[in-house]
Amino acid sequence: MTWKNVRLVFLREVRDQLRDRRTLFMIAILPLLLYPALGIGMLQMTMLFSEQPRTVVILGADSLPEPELIKGEHFAERWFSSPQIADKLIVITDRAADASAQETAGDAAGPSNADSASMSAKLLSSARSLREKYLHLQQLEQFELAELMQKHHLDPNRKDDAAAKQTISHFAVSDEIRQTRQEFSLLFAESQIQVLILVPEGFKRQIQSINRGLADGSLQIEKTPQPLRPIVLQNSADEKSSIAYHRVQDVMLTWERELLADRLSQAGLPATLHTPVNVQTVDLAQEDQIAANLWSKLFPALMIIMAVTGAFYPAIDLGAGEKERGTMETLLISPATRTEIVLGKFFTVFVFSVSTALLNLCCLGLTGKYMVSMTGGGAFSQIGDVALPSGSSIVWLLILLIPLATLFSALCLALATFARSSKEGQYYLTPLLMVSVGMTMFCLSPAVEIKPFYSIMPVMGIALLLKGLLLDPTSAELTWYALPVLFTSFAYGLLALWWAIEQFNSEEVLFREAERFELGLWLKHLLRDKEATPSFSEAGFCFVLIMMLQFGAFKFLGDAFQHATAETRDVLMLRMLIIQQLVIIGSPAAFMGLILTKSFRQTFRVNIPNPWMIGAAVVLPFALNPLAIELSARLNWFFPPLPEGAKEALGAMSAASTPMWLALLAFAVTPALCEEIAFRGFILSGFNRTGRTGLAIALSSLTFGLMHMIPQQVFNAMLLGLVLGLLTVRSGSILPAMIFHFLFNGLEVVKSRYGEAIASSPSSALFVTSAEKGLRYTGLTLFLSGLIATLILKRLLFTASANSVADAFADDVAGKTPDLMTPSVTQ
Amino acid sequence: MIHVENLTKRFADLRQGSVLALDHVSFDVRPGEIFGLLGPNGAGKTTCLRILSTVLKPTGGKALIAGYNVAADPAKVRSVIGFMSANTGLYDRMTAWEMVEYFGRLYGLPEDKLQPRLEEIFQMLQMNEIRDVLGGKMSTGMKQKVSIARTIVHDPPVLIFDEPTSGLDVLVARAVLKTIHTLRDQGKCIIFSTHIMREVEKLCDRVAIIYKGRILANASVNELEQLYHEPDMEELFFELISRHEAQLAAERV
Repeated sequence: MTWKNVRLVFLREVRDQLRDRRTLFMIAILPLLLYPALGIGMLQMTMLFSEQPRTVVILGADSLPEPELIKGEHFAERWFSSPQIADKLIVITDRAADASAQETAGDAAGPSNADSASMSAKLLSSARSLREKYLHLQQLEQFELAELMQKHHLDPNRKDDAAAKQTISHFAVSDEIRQTRQEFSLLFAESQIQVLILVPEGFKRQIQSINRGLADGSLQIEKTPQPLRPIVLQNSADEKSSIAYHRVQDVMLTWERELLADRLSQAGLPATLHTPVNVQTVDLAQEDQIAANLWSKLFPALMIIMAVTGAFYPAIDLGAGEKERGTMETLLISPATRTEIVLGKFFTVFVFSVSTALLNLCCLGLTGKYMVSMTGGGAFSQIGDVALPSGSSIVWLLILLIPLATLFSALCLALATFARSSKEGQYYLTPLLMVSVGMTMFCLSPAVEIKPFYSIMPVMGIALLLKGLLLDPTSAELTWYALPVLFTSFAYGLLALWWAIEQFNSEEVLFREAERFELGLWLKHLLRDKEATPSFSEAGFCFVLIMMLQFGAFKFLGDAFQHATAETRDVLMLRMLIIQQLVIIGSPAAFMGLILTKSFRQTFRVNIPNPWMIGAAVVLPFALNPLAIELSARLNWFFPPLPEGAKEALGAMSAASTPMWLALLAFAVTPALCEEIAFRGFILSGFNRTGRTGLAIALSSLTFGLMHMIPQQVFNAMLLGLVLGLLTVRSGSILPAMIFHFLFNGLEVVKSRYGEAIASSPSSALFVTSAEKGLRYTGLTLFLSGLIATLILKRLLFTASANSVADAFADDVAGKTPDLMTPSVTQ
Repeated sequence: MIHVENLTKRFADLRQGSVLALDHVSFDVRPGEIFGLLGPNGAGKTTCLRILSTVLKPTGGKALIAGYNVAADPAKVRSVIGFMSANTGLYDRMTAWEMVEYFGRLYGLPEDKLQPRLEEIFQMLQMNEIRDVLGGKMSTGMKQKVSIARTIVHDPPVLIFDEPTSGLDVLVARAVLKTIHTLRDQGKCIIFSTHIMREVEKLCDRVAIIYKGRILANASVNELEQLYHEPDMEELFFELISRHEAQLAAERV
């Protein structure tokens, strides 16, 4: 590979993209125009936007005490936090003065006034019928309640029975009440009243008398009658009503406070009587912190979305577009190697991804700053002048953008190369965007912070770190996170780049013709052209199927579990595990093997292995178990805590209520059979068809890990999957892997049950210690098992794979018949 | 110069399962010779030439070009061949000059030799007036000229033309054939595929008739006529194909 060719390809592609009007528009012009245009749009919207006033009807307004709640057709402005809101609520009352005024106005003035008068008359009449309905309903309910209380021998005055009363009133309602309630609600919905306030008669008088009584000291608390309460009717499911209600609530609260203040002052009591604690809150947020908070929400999301978009369109043009226009073949026959071509194209996509992201961030930042400084008042008034992120934050942003753009550029290029045409390529954008936006959304939620585990996740690590650093660019803790985040992100980027190069090296991908797809034809092909072992994509599909079934079974298993009693729970859990293994993991793989392959035996490697392989499979679990336990104990801090369900399952493993044989069956026997059939059988055989055993083992252990869902187990299972895959490939039989799997899991079950006993026996002190979370091994055990494991694994690694019938046949099918290949080698 | 022996290529096909696109194909081409590959559409011509140009890998057999194996040494092979087909497109947003210059650089021509070479080719193919025309704005004839210029920019000893005249009008096709003839006279080793009998008669020193992935005959045009006592190339072609079909049918029974 020479960099000269990479540079040549790169320069040509960049020039080509810069000459393309569409790309330029997407990448440069759009962001420059988009944000100012959005700003203008927002300004216009705020100017044109006016909220429809909502109608509040008050019946019995004459009984409202001083100070004046209503002024004209609105609530008095003084009850609102900002006076403009008063116009948003129109108040219609049945006050005698108003009613007469309306009548005269209706007679004298034009039709519009008459309209409004008749309108309010209508509203008032429906308000009255609502009041009647309400009172009727109250009566009914009280009557029924009294009946029920009598029936259940409850005393309404006794405290214990209050709760019972509530239950009764909640559950046992007669049809009549239910119907009345329905009618009532319907009537309210039809009345066009958003909030109805019913003021009881004599409310004003009662308030005044209490005030007077307090002032002259004649008030006798035990003699005061049940206080009258105004009733506010609203419908929280109706947005209009709900908005109006919240405003009315605020008004009533302020008004009530004023009433209280009046009452206190009349009685000569201090105004602070009702607020003995009266906390004072001090907000220490600085202006730049508020701004940083804003940027930390906006920038990571925008950076990710724009890095994808910026990479995607050029990638489509450079990959699928070039195939479509026939220039791909021209390029492939030039002396530039595939790697050089891919790198040249990759750097082009990378440049566009980075520049799109930066341009968008700049434009958003500047437009946002300008908009906020212009708006001044309103919701933004607390922010004041929004400072742009500090220099160090911007440096961090640039550093983090590089691995992000690397990942997306390589990913997009691989997808674009895979696509047959630009049109097909466009279809891949939506899923890619959805996944990245989903990850970003998760990161945006305020509770999510960067943790060791998140730091190694693709995209999420970067988003969370950037979010943290925009808030506090000097945080030392976050700076430490930069190491794993950058390292893993670059690793993901390189992996994606490797995939893109693979795509370019595959002639099936480069010369895929856009042939017509027919489902029937394809199914026929699947069943007709069966081969001894499954294909790569069939193996992939098997994994997807297992994951889907697992997802679908979650609810089913959860439901069954919910209904179990505490005693049967553990046994049920184990049974469920067995069923899950058999139905979700074992059967699909076995079934696919039967239908889609010619040779069940070769697919699942049903062979008698070499005796020393069996020996290795017996010894290895005992050597690896201490190492695995130690490793996961050491790495415990790294992973998020175990979910409840997993803890329960682990509890069931050692619970005394479950028989030992059942625990062994659920945790050791069925997994050893089912998981091996699926992952070392069908899936490994399928992946092995690429002819690269190492890759096949790695992929099968990756799928094996992912199937375990919980991060800790994913990690452990992946490592064990490598050993299991190696055993299977080297022995040419699935048996050693099954033995290993059974012994490894069985050991865990035995340990969880008899761990205490083993640890307490004096002879074992040399090898195990009892720790808080179960058995731990001593350094001596670890050393010995490490030694044994290394020796066996080393021997396994350096033996040749058993050239089973399956492999030989696979080679033949792939066309690598030895007699035809050798001449080219000898030349 | 080109040595092909038992070349075999198998594709997976949705409709027919596995398809044998090339079935033990063998032939040789010497320098200063135009070798014609004559066959109907889908006979395996393009597959064969794509293997020779290293974009496809053979399933079996071997092919040597100037002593380099196409499967083992693709980079070396690519540097000694010039390949042109109906599928090798031009970049729409590049001028004729830029296009040929770009490929000259990819072939590793040093800058001081590249410019004179470009002038020479543009002179030879009479394309000085389209120097600064973008690929997207060119007519088919212009495009074909640029493609030829790209193919020969590094002066390769072996030239592979895969149906270079398909879709061209008579005038342009004639010009292309003439250029190929000139190149032969310069001592190039040329392999040329087509489904047009006339072109073979006019141009090729030797011809192989390929059908369903197999070579049915491989000789000079005159030899073929004598061998099968059929002076008309077209008749001869049909004769061979129907004979092969009959043979296949017999095998099937």
